Amino acid sequence: MEGYMKEGRRVYPTEPRKIMQARFATKYLNYLLHALTNIGKPELSSTLDCCVNKEIDKMVRYEVDMALALSAEGFAWSHALKHRLRLNVNNNNHAGKSQSYLAHHDDHRTKMPVNHEPATKKLKGNPKRSGTEAAVEEEEEERLTYLRKLIPGGSGEMMVDDEILLSELGSYVTCLELQVNVLRSMLQLT
Amino acid sequence: MLHTLESLESCNYDGMDMTVLERQAARLKWQQQYYVVQNNNPVPLSASSVPQSQGLIGSNLGSGQMVELKRPEVFLGTDDLQDFVNLPVSGPDFGESEKLDLVPPEAAADYCISRTFNCQMTTPNIAVMKEEREDVILEKIESTTGSGRVSFNKRKAEAVADHKSKDKRIRGEGESEVKTKCSTEISRNSSKENSKASEVQKPDYIHVRARRGQATDSHSLAERARRGKISNKMKCLQDLVPGCNKITGKAGMLDEIINYVQSLQRQVEFLSMKIAALNSSVELSVQNLPMKEFPAYVANFPAAAKLPEMAGLPCFQLNPLQKESVRFMLNESLHPPQTEGVARASVCITEQSLSSSSMTQLQPFSTWNMDPQGLYNMYNMGFH
Repeated sequence: MEGYMKEGRRVYPTEPRKIMQARFATKYLNYLLHALTNIGKPELSSTLDCCVNKEIDKMVRYEVDMALALSAEGFAWSHALKHRLRLNVNNNNHAGKSQSYLAHHDDHRTKMPVNHEPATKKLKGNPKRSGTEAAVEEEEEERLTYLRKLIPGGSGEMMVDDEILLSELGSYVTCLELQVNVLRSMLQLT
Repeated sequence: MLHTLESLESCNYDGMDMTVLERQAARLKWQQQYYVVQNNNPVPLSASSVPQSQGLIGSNLGSGQMVELKRPEVFLGTDDLQDFVNLPVSGPDFGESEKLDLVPPEAAADYCISRTFNCQMTTPNIAVMKEEREDVILEKIESTTGSGRVSFNKRKAEAVADHKSKDKRIRGEGESEVKTKCSTEISRNSSKENSKASEVQKPDYIHVRARRGQATDSHSLAERARRGKISNKMKCLQDLVPGCNKITGKAGMLDEIINYVQSLQRQVEFLSMKIAALNSSVELSVQNLPMKEFPAYVANFPAAAKLPEMAGLPCFQLNPLQKESVRFMLNESLHPPQTEGVARASVCITEQSLSSSSMTQLQPFSTWNMDPQGLYNMYNMGFH
């Protein structure tokens, strides 16, 4: 692959994928640790612990997502994620409540099992119907729309094309995996 | 004329020639009696020259040589090319590039119109058929190449409407039903030809081969190409998502992907809550990881000397954590110098970013925000 020259340091990867993963991990860590140390300090002076915890939860979540978005530049979903986070922050600032971000996110969470069951039910309950081509395509379309809700920016104009959606899905899945690994390793050491 | 044709064909050499050559050689023998053989060299036929040669389907077929087409996907290097043998001389010249020499009427009398034609046609019929077929071919050539290579189409301005319509239908559908055998042949050849010609002459297009019984119009081809791309991406996703190897079918795969993405997102949320809890309760506790756990790192790091200094700093605790995480990431066999490079960089940066309790060291972090396009490209290359 290419030799990536950065300020005199040459890295010649034998496996581009690993290098990508390594870069992602380092960026992610850098950002997140930086942000977490930031979080820790100003919140200590709050009175209500539960509130603080919630706030901290949200802030951590925000930072986690932001770290993901920043570590994986160049993807449509990361751009959309960044946009959404900043939008939510603005909403939070204006409204004075930080519910919107989590609420927005929780919607996805709650939606997921609910929306998904009908799809599977349809599949299992009507095997004959799913045998027909049209029904199969319908199912696939359903799943695709569901996936669009899962991935940030999936409903946007960037990912109207199915192929683009699938590629973005691939990158999103790998970045999510990496993120989970990083977070887990962070927790392991504490 | 023959030589020019031969030379033209030879410059578009295609890979299917071996059987062509063999067949042509076989053909040459019995055809020699019919016209002056001007070259005994097997003529390498290429996709581009085939359309012109198709005109010879009608012209040069020998008596009694009725070879049925086996499959349309069969390369032109097979049975078809018996026809594309020595291009009989005489006949009108067609102008510049592709010259198609027709069988002289007298020689044509000995030939059937097509291989699959079972009748011997009279000369005038043959001539007519030749002309008509030329129209067909010309139209196809026009459609496929769209270039000025077809020079002899001007002669055939008045195309037989019947053939024209037939031709259009053939091109549009690529049918496998046989209206007339010769037209079917031509249609098969041309459908192959279309896809092939487009391969040869329009290299920037997506190449989709039209199979037998499938439509060959641009919409279906584009649709098929798109489906092919999507299935490729689905295969890549299958590699990514664990446990998808047994699942066939797009719907099941998408199901699995949905489940996997959901589970990952839930994990992230859970872990972030844990981190928040940790953060609120206590700063990430000091973990005294012995230095020997990082031999590769420590030995190579010029920054290693700094570490003892920083032991006193409360932020130092994050360093082993970070190193551990980085090592976790780089766990798989990374090339050692590369490992060193990346890890060293990360340590340096983290040290800089965390050494001072005030966050003034954003600069090194920003340098790590290397060009997104590079990362994106790299990812894509690695991903696909």
